[in-house]
Amino acid sequence: MVVEQVVLIIAGALALVSALGVVLMPNAVYSAMMLLLNLISLATIFLLLHAQFMFAAQLVVYAGAILVLFLFVVTLLNPQGENILRDKHRLQQAGAISLGLFLACLLVGGLLYAFTSATQPDLASTVTQAGSTYGTVEAFGQALFTKFLLPFELTSLLLLVALIGAVVLGKRR
Amino acid sequence: MSGITITMVISALVFTIGACGVLLRRNPLVQFMSIELMLNAGNLAFISFGGMTGSAEGQVFVLMVLTVAAAEAVVGLGIIVAMFRRRRRIDVDEVNSMEG
Repeated sequence: MVVEQVVLIIAGALALVSALGVVLMPNAVYSAMMLLLNLISLATIFLLLHAQFMFAAQLVVYAGAILVLFLFVVTLLNPQGENILRDKHRLQQAGAISLGLFLACLLVGGLLYAFTSATQPDLASTVTQAGSTYGTVEAFGQALFTKFLLPFELTSLLLLVALIGAVVLGKRR
Repeated sequence: MSGITITMVISALVFTIGACGVLLRRNPLVQFMSIELMLNAGNLAFISFGGMTGSAEGQVFVLMVLTVAAAEAVVGLGIIVAMFRRRRRIDVDEVNSMEG
């Protein structure tokens, strides 16, 4: 239990630092690498929350497919680096940072208020007990193909539309 | 602090950092990466709440978010490449031909 807490805090700190790295890195390739680190640390947290299938899906879909697409476009376009510390839009930056701090205070304050005034939330006992099927491919597939069959089928339509859109956008005029 | 509290605070902070990234950066590629950060923060919140109730609904929603993220990345990067082809530079401030 203590080991889980330590791993959770390390992965959480890594997720925050790498998220800051995505925003602050001057080169887009470094940003993509930081995004990879962020995805892996979030996947570790998924594993700690007993969502094994989501851990694998996160690594395969995000780190394996989306990030490779990002890196492909970044290296194809090769944009010049930008240093946001030497940006000219001072007022805009100050506004963005103050709005961000406001949002962070609002979200974290609301969460801490909700979670300490009520009972402390934790993983359900059906999740943590030994031999629990929560998070396995079996339990996940059971829900996906019975209760959520229609939404699952509709995602294929979404992917088809995205595919057609990518072809239309990539076509030379 | 319980584990769920920690993961929810991490989720909130990662979402905030992603929102700031969209506002701060001028490079649309990095803005897209910041949007991915926000989607991931949402995923973490879904899985945390799913674990609290012990049902698989949270994970099903995460699968939907993964699909949306993949579709959005494909279309968005297609738009960025088309933009680069027209103007040879990518900067969101220069894309103002649709402004009213």
